[in-house]
Amino acid sequence: MEYSLDELMIATMAHQFSGEVMVSSVTAFGALAALVAKKTHAPELAVLATPESGMEVTPLPTLTLGQFLTDVQRGIPLTMEEIFDAIFCDLFRIWINPAQIDQFGNVNISAIGPWQRPKVALVGSRGIPEDTSHLSQIFYYVLHHNPRSVVSRVDFRSGAGNGPERDQLLGRSGAPSLLVTDLGVFTFSGPGGSMAILSLHPGVTREMVQERTAFPVSGFTESIEVTPEPTAEELAIIRKADPLEVRKLELLSGDKAAEKFVAIYERERQALHVAWPARSRI
Amino acid sequence: MNKTLTAEAMVEQISDGASITIGGSSLSRKPMALVRALARSGRKNLTLIVNVGGPEVDLLLGLGVVTKVIYAFVGFEVMGLAPNFRRARQNSNVTFEEWTEYTVMAGLDAAIKRVPFLPTRAGLGTDVLAVNPSFRTITDPFGGETLVAVPAIHPDFALIHVNYADERGNGVILGDGHIDVLCAKAAKTTFMSCERILHGDELQRFGRDVQIMRIHTQGVAELPWGAHPTGCAPEYRADLRHMEEYMEATGDLERWHAYQDRMVWVDHEQYLDRMGGREGLVSRLHV
Repeated sequence: MEYSLDELMIATMAHQFSGEVMVSSVTAFGALAALVAKKTHAPELAVLATPESGMEVTPLPTLTLGQFLTDVQRGIPLTMEEIFDAIFCDLFRIWINPAQIDQFGNVNISAIGPWQRPKVALVGSRGIPEDTSHLSQIFYYVLHHNPRSVVSRVDFRSGAGNGPERDQLLGRSGAPSLLVTDLGVFTFSGPGGSMAILSLHPGVTREMVQERTAFPVSGFTESIEVTPEPTAEELAIIRKADPLEVRKLELLSGDKAAEKFVAIYERERQALHVAWPARSRI
Repeated sequence: MNKTLTAEAMVEQISDGASITIGGSSLSRKPMALVRALARSGRKNLTLIVNVGGPEVDLLLGLGVVTKVIYAFVGFEVMGLAPNFRRARQNSNVTFEEWTEYTVMAGLDAAIKRVPFLPTRAGLGTDVLAVNPSFRTITDPFGGETLVAVPAIHPDFALIHVNYADERGNGVILGDGHIDVLCAKAAKTTFMSCERILHGDELQRFGRDVQIMRIHTQGVAELPWGAHPTGCAPEYRADLRHMEEYMEATGDLERWHAYQDRMVWVDHEQYLDRMGGREGLVSRLHV
């Protein structure tokens, strides 16, 4: 069955989820991965509608309607305290999409260039320090694997990777587990907790990976596995749950992205109401 | 006690140099009508304290009335980076202190609990500790472990916007709560705007959704669409068309001043008219 890169990545991300944990839906990729997992191998997942609330909902990727999903589906409202308690208790999973990730799995969403006077000021560490000091599994994904996003050393550590500081202060709590990019799947089990190849996506060569990575990647043995293709069932779940193709936005840029953005924004209320007819609370 | 006040009367109580914590999260339920009233008041040298900041931080930075920002995140979510925040971070005299989501909550909670700090592991192994002079590491007196001490944050004021309130200052939040409750409890003075004021016992039927308790509130204002251009679930979504217009306006000084004239230096009713009036807003944004 034909599939696209976003669908391959989402299915790959879905395979990582297991158990009875909360799963945050920050991005379309993360939300769809959680849904695929829940509908296939991980039925006990507690999927959230937004980064912080609306437990027990079926995600519908949108630009503006996450909280409305909680309302129309009568999701369980949560407080921020409950979200962070779930993080501290290691009962929370999230796919984080950093601007930079380095060879030891440190991640950056704060600043490109020096933090004090950045070349590009990004958004700020948000809740990543909490995740990378408490969770037993930390998942990252990068859509455009290149030497500017997969770097030797991040400009700022918003999230803690592997290294002596982690060993001394945190142990394994919050250590990076996995990175999925548009080229392949990577672990952080190389020398000194560095990035190592686990599988290459279909059609991707080891040379492509090395060319588009700012440091030497380890783990290239004779026979490297190929990332499994999404199944027909997984593809059906993704496509049904994301009729407006919000997932495609993350891979587009320029005019195409702008056009798609407007089309989704104009149509998403209708899509929500078709899926869940609105009911008034008062 | 009837605590209803106009937005203008609320911001009148805020003095130059005040520290203000603001509820909501990026493009969700920001008290934008109160923030615009604050902008019109001419108050300056403000310290802003946010967990997840958005257009409120960006607007006040763009007006040059902010000297310090404590934040875990400032951005426009699906719309990308906040332009005035980005500019100020890259080149200005504004002091920025990067915290994290839980540490902002812990700082406010420490103030509420009247303790000087709360300990956490969040931040260990990151550069947040290196750039944020407010944090210290401490040794656990029981087990000897290294932890981060998050100092109490004592805001002078909190500004929040909720779905419904009563005249006494109880508030109902129906969508995500964000950290509004912590803001309301930690601040010395809390001002709350709402979509609608409910009377008598109408509010109490909302049970646990009455998240803001009147013992923490000093003023209430009925300001329908008061979160615009951010959203207020489950009633209206964020106005991404307007956010686009805003972002374009920040691109040069002339357009930025024109934007202020049209959207900031007008009262709330005029603002809503310029957004297409209530009917126009309903058709574009009501969900």
